[in-house]
Amino acid sequence: MSKADILQSISAHKAAFPAAPEIPSEELPAISPEQQLDLFKKSLTTAGAEIVELSEKEIDDYTAANLPGALDFTNPEIKEEYAVAALDKLNKIERALFAGRFGVAENGAVWLEDNNLPQRIIPFITQHLILKLDAKNLCANMQEAYKQIHLNGLGFGVFISGPSKTADIEQSLVYGAHGAKELTVIIAGK
Amino acid sequence: MTPHAKKAKQFLADEARTDWHNQTLWIVRKKRDALAAAVPEWETLREKASIIKENVLANLDVYLEQFEAAALKNGVTVLWANDAAAFNQIILDIIQKHEAKNIVKSKSMLTEECGLNHFLHHKGIDVVDTDLGERIIQFRGEAPSHIVLPAIHLKKEEIGETFHEKLGTDKGASDPTYLTRAARKHLREKFLAADVALTGVNFAVAETGTVVVCTNEGNADMGVHAAPVQVHCMGIEKIVPRQEDLGVFTRLLARSATGQPVTTYTSHYGTPKPGGAMYIVIVDNGRSKHLGNPKYVNSLKCLRCGACMNTCPVFRRSGGHSYGYVIPGPIGSILAPQRTDARYTDLPFASSLCGSCSNVCPAKINIHEQLYYWRQDLSEKKQTSFIKRFSMKMTGFVLSSNSRYNFAGNMARKALKYLPHKLIYLPINAWGRGRELPAPPKQSFKQWYKNNRKNKPQ
Repeated sequence: MSKADILQSISAHKAAFPAAPEIPSEELPAISPEQQLDLFKKSLTTAGAEIVELSEKEIDDYTAANLPGALDFTNPEIKEEYAVAALDKLNKIERALFAGRFGVAENGAVWLEDNNLPQRIIPFITQHLILKLDAKNLCANMQEAYKQIHLNGLGFGVFISGPSKTADIEQSLVYGAHGAKELTVIIAGK
Repeated sequence: MTPHAKKAKQFLADEARTDWHNQTLWIVRKKRDALAAAVPEWETLREKASIIKENVLANLDVYLEQFEAAALKNGVTVLWANDAAAFNQIILDIIQKHEAKNIVKSKSMLTEECGLNHFLHHKGIDVVDTDLGERIIQFRGEAPSHIVLPAIHLKKEEIGETFHEKLGTDKGASDPTYLTRAARKHLREKFLAADVALTGVNFAVAETGTVVVCTNEGNADMGVHAAPVQVHCMGIEKIVPRQEDLGVFTRLLARSATGQPVTTYTSHYGTPKPGGAMYIVIVDNGRSKHLGNPKYVNSLKCLRCGACMNTCPVFRRSGGHSYGYVIPGPIGSILAPQRTDARYTDLPFASSLCGSCSNVCPAKINIHEQLYYWRQDLSEKKQTSFIKRFSMKMTGFVLSSNSRYNFAGNMARKALKYLPHKLIYLPINAWGRGRELPAPPKQSFKQWYKNNRKNKPQ
């Protein structure tokens, strides 16, 4: 029984530290919403994403004109259709649009989770990922970010910061390794 | 020559490549510095990470059971492996149970440590590594030379040649974008056909049973979500107690590793996909034995970021393959001897003890001090060469006595002046290979001080 062996070995070799230390809590420096938005945009640009700032009512026109064929997964009908689609069909998705729950200023990451996604693979298998985000829904850093999510019982959730990328060939940066080749983040509420 | 020195010599034979390797890793180190400096609370974060890991290691059995209970509640199958053999067998059993043919794997140093690919290959199962760097070295039949940048020892022309042979890319083509696109196409097919996806684990959250995997390429997610069966492989030390602790570690990991504020994808896997199966395999493989050792327990705090490799003057100039252990560089040199394998006893000596590794470590592991402890332990157990032990003993004899020290210094200054070059640089003098001693001074500092300073007013 490996489990018993491992736990037994752990307790037999325990107590290398004088006492189990308490994890301290902390105060983080606060930054203003304007600073957060600036930092968020800067982080995403550095990560290779394209950023568009629009008012809520401009978004549909913008996507129709600039992101033709984008599948809008905030639309319940499209979401339902793709909840049961086979991999082959998913692999043909050129553009997929989701609403991100919130963004993280320090690194440009946007949080998506199961209830946004008809199937978990879609934000990765699409060639071009579009994430819509309310400008109000930003937080300063990852420590703040984890206060906004509930992993307990959550099936799948992901922070996405930029298009997929690699530098495994001579450290040359190439976008589009296995996930989306492009990321557009639409910041709503200008 | 020690095995490390021998293999480092081979690496150094190509001077241009060595220079490129050295400079490229130094650029990564500088990117790390810039990002660390941009976070005012950086040092607090490191301190916190270290404390959290200390708390984890002191309560590891409690956290592992809590983690298992939460994962079971999520509908995950949790399996435990004492050692590499048990781990490999568990993976084989999963593959056979699901009658899987196509296996994809994203980066996992643990599976490298356990020799999983090799084991499965002998059972007639080929695992496709999906990280671009790992796929490149898999095609070439090589081991990774760096835990984050597995193909950093290769030039793009060599990769182009490999891809021409394996993927039919144009002969002589070496453009990184062109080659990456070819790999994308090739690996998409593999993802879509995958029956089982294997991943490593960056963090496992005890209170929620969630495992977290960080990639830039998106290969872990492509595999995990495409394959009906997902298997996450973790060492026992990957636990973090609470969800909020992820905030500390995700701020440190990518900044330390590659100088990015975060990886492109930070994925949290909690439950199996609808109709799918999810396994988590918890592996000890010698780790628990070191919990009780106050000198070495801190090595279990490692996040596998590779920062210690990028900064190490020895690693940068000898290449990851010179270490001969699955995890190279400073952290590998304190993990490898824990395996009590005589092959690795030279690794703690493959260091200048400059301490740069400890200074960049996001979990504040005292790597250079542990290298020094290993040197002492290995010498005590006579697991170092006779010449090294003898010369250390003689050095100790000379340095521990004032008169012997003065005498030896005097003799050395004369000997260096009059003895023939060949005699001083005998093969036994490892230090003298590739180095020249400075011209001997006329007098010692002690004599100079006596003549010039001692009785003079300040």
